[in-house]
Amino acid sequence: MQTSIHNTHFLLRRLHSLLGLLPVGGFLIFHLWENSQSRFGPAHYNEQVVGWLQGLNYLTLLEIFVIALPLLLHAGYGLLILRSGHNEWRRNPWLHHRLYLLQRISGIAILLFLLFHVGWTRIWGIWEPAVKADLFGHMQSILSQPPIFLLYLLGLLLSLIHLCNGLWTMAISWGLTTSVQAQRRWFLFCIALFVLLSAMGLHGMLGFIL
Amino acid sequence: MKTIQFQIRRQDDPYSPPYWESFSIPFRKGHNVVSALMVIRENPVTREGRRVDPVAWEFNCMEEVCGACSMVINGLPRQACSTLVDNLDQPIRLEPLSKFPVIRDLMVDRSRIFTDLKRVRAWIEIDGAWNIHRGAPRVSPEAWKENYLYSRCMSCGCCMEVCPQYGEDQTFVGPATLAAVRLMNAHPTGSYHKTQRLHAIMAEGGLSDCGNAQNCVRVCPKQIPLTTAIGELGREVTLQMLRDLFGKSE
Repeated sequence: MQTSIHNTHFLLRRLHSLLGLLPVGGFLIFHLWENSQSRFGPAHYNEQVVGWLQGLNYLTLLEIFVIALPLLLHAGYGLLILRSGHNEWRRNPWLHHRLYLLQRISGIAILLFLLFHVGWTRIWGIWEPAVKADLFGHMQSILSQPPIFLLYLLGLLLSLIHLCNGLWTMAISWGLTTSVQAQRRWFLFCIALFVLLSAMGLHGMLGFIL
Repeated sequence: MKTIQFQIRRQDDPYSPPYWESFSIPFRKGHNVVSALMVIRENPVTREGRRVDPVAWEFNCMEEVCGACSMVINGLPRQACSTLVDNLDQPIRLEPLSKFPVIRDLMVDRSRIFTDLKRVRAWIEIDGAWNIHRGAPRVSPEAWKENYLYSRCMSCGCCMEVCPQYGEDQTFVGPATLAAVRLMNAHPTGSYHKTQRLHAIMAEGGLSDCGNAQNCVRVCPKQIPLTTAIGELGREVTLQMLRDLFGKSE
């Protein structure tokens, strides 16, 4: 008899779901919390916030196995999942159907944003020591340009929509919420989380330029 | 003269391209879509005055329990027998379900639903090599009340029609078939094969192909709590995965 663990389909779907929350979603929240400290000024940010992170032992291993690989697996398998759906945007104008589509659109958009975002900060920092030494100044010069500020704002909001809606659907997929009432309550929680994290992210972005 | 206007998407055979035709019938109060289609069939002349082949469609029970007359009416999948013309905007647009192969006009081949029900073992084995039951199986009134909601499914295909994950090019079995697993697993005799059914929906095209768009529950003509079934099955397969990975608890 065939059992679930001999069939990789189910395990891969659940792995994809789990990776979205841990570590990818967890890292996003940590990342926003770190950067929300930009308001304490360049010296504090460069020395205490970034300096502390850069001083971590095994940092490269953590970056690869806790951030990069899970993110790539989540994104790569997510692109495969895209093929299993139809775009029926004009039909069925209900909220969760709209969010179903937004989840897929934001997935692609976030991937493009991350190429730009990670490329211009972490990857560029490998060759350009000045970026690494004064990350605050680097972010300040980037975010002072209105088009890039808007791009970051879009990237932030889409990432949080993807995270919070993912958290909502994950609760159904794993069986945390079953009844309509429980799913509605969890949805309100996810909206509140979205508002909170958006405020934290925006606060961090403004801290670099104000 | 007051009339009822129809626009019907027609297709002569499974391989020919679809086309639209308009019909108009004299107004009469209290028509449903099936009775109106019967009037068109009596005199199949388009609004342009061209005599055409009568429109082909399926219907059977005329009381919304058989699922045969599913079609897309003004953009929403519904039962033609229980959809009252007086409540519809005109012209009334009739289309065949888009997620199943068209046989002719509004007739589609929904046999894939049956294939998928077999795939997930949506039946209860009452015969065995020994007497399976001593007396009738017992179900609490609370459980019976919940199970009854799912037993109303008539495999009409409306939930599949609006599901963005369901289609001829996809393996997803669709909401109704998953809800059938929920129902069969809840039955005392059916629960003997609970693990097999859970394993079936843990494969390709099973539960994890659901995208949680939740359109299904909004169009179900029998108000079946499909998304609750999906959540409950989610919990069941999570526990089944733990049993498969780490061994049983008992």
